[in-house]
Amino acid sequence: MKRLEGKRAVVTGGGSGIGRASAIRFAREGASVLVVGRAGNTEETAAAIRGEGGIASALITDAAVEENVAEIVRRCVAEFGGLEIFFANIGVTGTNTPLLEQTVEEWSEVYRINTISCFLAIKYAGRHMTAQGYGSIILTSSAASLRANAGAISYSASKAAVNNLAQTAANAFAGTGVRVNAVLPGLVETQLTRKVFEDARARGVEAKLGHVTPMKRPGRSEEIAAAAAFLASDDSSYVDGQLLSVDGGVSSTHPYGRIAL
Amino acid sequence: MNSRLQGRVCVVTGAARGIGLAIAERFGQEGGRIACVDVSARRLEPAVEGLKSKGFDARPYEVDVGKRDDVHALFARIEREFAAPVAVLVNNAVFARFEPLAQIEVETVDRMFAVGVHGLIWTTQAAAPQMERRGGGSIVNLSSVSAFNPAKDSIAYSALKAGVVGLSRASAIELSAKKIRVNVIAPGMIGTPASIAQFDEATIATRQAEMPAGRFGEPEEIAALAAFLASDDASYIQGAVVTADGGWTIPAR
Repeated sequence: MKRLEGKRAVVTGGGSGIGRASAIRFAREGASVLVVGRAGNTEETAAAIRGEGGIASALITDAAVEENVAEIVRRCVAEFGGLEIFFANIGVTGTNTPLLEQTVEEWSEVYRINTISCFLAIKYAGRHMTAQGYGSIILTSSAASLRANAGAISYSASKAAVNNLAQTAANAFAGTGVRVNAVLPGLVETQLTRKVFEDARARGVEAKLGHVTPMKRPGRSEEIAAAAAFLASDDSSYVDGQLLSVDGGVSSTHPYGRIAL
Repeated sequence: MNSRLQGRVCVVTGAARGIGLAIAERFGQEGGRIACVDVSARRLEPAVEGLKSKGFDARPYEVDVGKRDDVHALFARIEREFAAPVAVLVNNAVFARFEPLAQIEVETVDRMFAVGVHGLIWTTQAAAPQMERRGGGSIVNLSSVSAFNPAKDSIAYSALKAGVVGLSRASAIELSAKKIRVNVIAPGMIGTPASIAQFDEATIATRQAEMPAGRFGEPEEIAALAAFLASDDASYIQGAVVTADGGWTIPAR
């Protein structure tokens, strides 16, 4: 599959989980990938891509800081000669502190990383892409953006804002050739959810993970990456401003039981 | 080209023209073997000849999907002739009329729902056991943005296409246990000859101006989405409604 041949892509949160799987998938489909993350594993993802013959470099930076995002776009254009795909994928979970005890500091940090990072991606990738009349921006949202009880409250609210941003930015970019969509994963084992999985294993109830979804299992990062690759490619050329759920069906049904996160 | 559907038997209803034919062609490009179903053998013949001339394993099957026994017999025949159970089903066939309330006739509504809702129940009923036998499958049902954002004169059509969503999501719950995924595509305005013919030029220009994409979609763009949902790339997508409308229904108006 080479649907992204000749394309240049940025993937933030690329050191692990969905970002890592997506960076690898984009590269396998032919894209040159700038892998962005805050930790050393960012370089490991880029090295893994190069190890299988793909083109990638790493940039270690906080993709929720304005000047850093401007630099990410500059770096991708300087190194690969352009930018057609930006996958804004960084995120934090927030805490399950009782709602009445939560603080503005916590909410601000969750919004900064989950929501404002998406605004910055749209702003800086959007400047470049609207000028060239082509591009696809993908935002990581969550099934928690649609329903209560699938994540922390600050997290859920910050992801609902991401959904709206996908729609409002797509509308703002009308006629420019730049598409903006969101992907909404359900429960997937990543750095963010590792504790949920580890706790379940420790209690011997791993088989119960994802049991509230019709498909009765958690998703894999590669399954989210495949959806991101679809949204990145011209196969989704008439899909704009959409919220693509990749959640085993959990958002399409009444819940079967309570979700313990 | 991708070969995400390599060797899989794919049933596409309403395959003689428009979006259905584009889906059949894309599935062929991805390695699928295509059972092209349509109510008209006469319309099917040139379509299937065209697919074959491109090297695809495509075969024509005439049936009225509104007739349960005929549909069950057809799926048994498809399995026999392809010597493999059905892996992918795309319910694209539709009969539609767009009329103001007072003009809607019993025959029109009966026909629309026979093809567009009953037909989906019968094809799903016939396909699911075959998919289960091969360890799973993918069903893609065509709805419309009219299910949520009805246009003028679409009372029966909007009900029909909203029905597709409910049917699909309920099927997704039941069929998950058999590793069958059921998802929905909601196209906006797609530039098939049949859809273009409904409108005068001024209406077309107005509609296009309402869309962030600034244009109608192409059948091939719906086919690309159908191929994604049909393939294992969508292995964790279940009960989803994916809209492909160039952003038409995002803004408030």
